[in-house]
Amino acid sequence: MADISLAMDTIMMGTFPAKKEAQRKQARDSSVPLAANRLDPDSDESLLIAVGTKQSTDAFNELFNRFSKRVFAHGMKITRNEQLSKDLVQEAMLTVWQKAPLYDLDRGTAQSWIFTLTRNRCFDMLRKQKRQPSCVSADDIWPGEFEDVDAHGKKEHEFIEVEISLVEKYLSQLPAAQQAVVEQVYLFDRTHEEASALLEIPLGTLKSRLRLAMGKLRQLIGNEND
Amino acid sequence: MINEANFHPSTELLQKFAAGTLSGGMNVAISAHVELCELCRKQTSELEAKATIDWLQTPADDNGAEYSDMIANIISHPQLNKAEEKKSILSEMHMLDHSVSLPKVLAKAAAEGLVWKKLGGGINQAQISLDDETQCEFIYMQPGSQTPVHKHQGSEVTLVLDGSFSDELGQYGRSDFIMRTSIDVHQPRSDEGCLCFAVLDKPLTFTKGIARLLNPLNNYRFKKALSQNTNF
Ligand SMILES: [Zn+2]
Repeated sequence: MADISLAMDTIMMGTFPAKKEAQRKQARDSSVPLAANRLDPDSDESLLIAVGTKQSTDAFNELFNRFSKRVFAHGMKITRNEQLSKDLVQEAMLTVWQKAPLYDLDRGTAQSWIFTLTRNRCFDMLRKQKRQPSCVSADDIWPGEFEDVDAHGKKEHEFIEVEISLVEKYLSQLPAAQQAVVEQVYLFDRTHEEASALLEIPLGTLKSRLRLAMGKLRQLIGNEND
Repeated sequence: MINEANFHPSTELLQKFAAGTLSGGMNVAISAHVELCELCRKQTSELEAKATIDWLQTPADDNGAEYSDMIANIISHPQLNKAEEKKSILSEMHMLDHSVSLPKVLAKAAAEGLVWKKLGGGINQAQISLDDETQCEFIYMQPGSQTPVHKHQGSEVTLVLDGSFSDELGQYGRSDFIMRTSIDVHQPRSDEGCLCFAVLDKPLTFTKGIARLLNPLNNYRFKKALSQNTNF
């Protein structure tokens, strides 16, 4: 199988630079007055900043009153379930409280900020509820929500190497009978009993072939990597 | 980024992406394209602003829910001082003679390791599981390879990550986002080799020949195998 040109020997792990320039620019262009000194103290932005900088519970209560119904409505639109929608109010408004210190006017309007985090929490909540794989979350899909603006220019180089070599070439060096048992057990995740039935060989024979095969493979891989 | 995409998600699709109404798999494919495509990045933030306005204009009623306990609970939580450190994640895929940088969301999705299977005709496939509605996979087409002629029961989205491929309707390179529907019958081929990410609504049906699964091997399980073996 020498024709495989995909060499997945190593996968480097590193960080990814944030890309939210366009988003931030867009936010500045929007209609809400964003110069901090000209902010209406009753505006959503002022309230959010008061929550973030002074832990103002009054401001939070006011924001809660202004937005909880809308958060609930988004939940109903997506989940059509009243309890889940109420849970979304909890999740989203908790995020508003917790992340308010990260909000500043560069991040856009308070409304947009709260909408996107509502959308994101809803996405995560629904995936959790449906028990879908948690490898990707809303924050990976819609970047920029809570990224540290200051970290923008900072680029870290932290690499971890993960080995994903193709064992094909090693396996092909084994006798066909040994290849077959390795495939059944390790590739198709069959039990020893299933594999011996499928290959029509006694269980003892399967086990000894497997043992031989694995010993040989370890040897081959060891030789190559020494 | 120098290579600009020639094929983009439809505005309708980007709208749904901004509004948060798509499946996980589709969101991932669009997110990856948006990261590679400045045009769509701009459009997405415009559409997010629009989605916010729509959201604010939708009649909202929560049947007079009583939230004082919830508020008390929320404000008992500590606030965050700064964004958590983003965990470093895998971001490059090493090919034989060069490496391909992956969009962040795909790097994350592949972080647990990919299981490559050889299909017929020089096609390699590594599936990842993202949701119940779609089948998501990385596809690597070796130089000179061709997929069997196939059509789809649902729609198929393909995002080119490296190299290029062509079909009856065009030629596609890095960051191109191609959508095919159930009426299209096509046979992609690649002369120089191509790495893609694909999201399928429903599994493919092959119209000609059978893509036989050949020796699907992976080191991930293999490592597990080696460690188990020590118990023998
Ligand atoms: Zn685009």
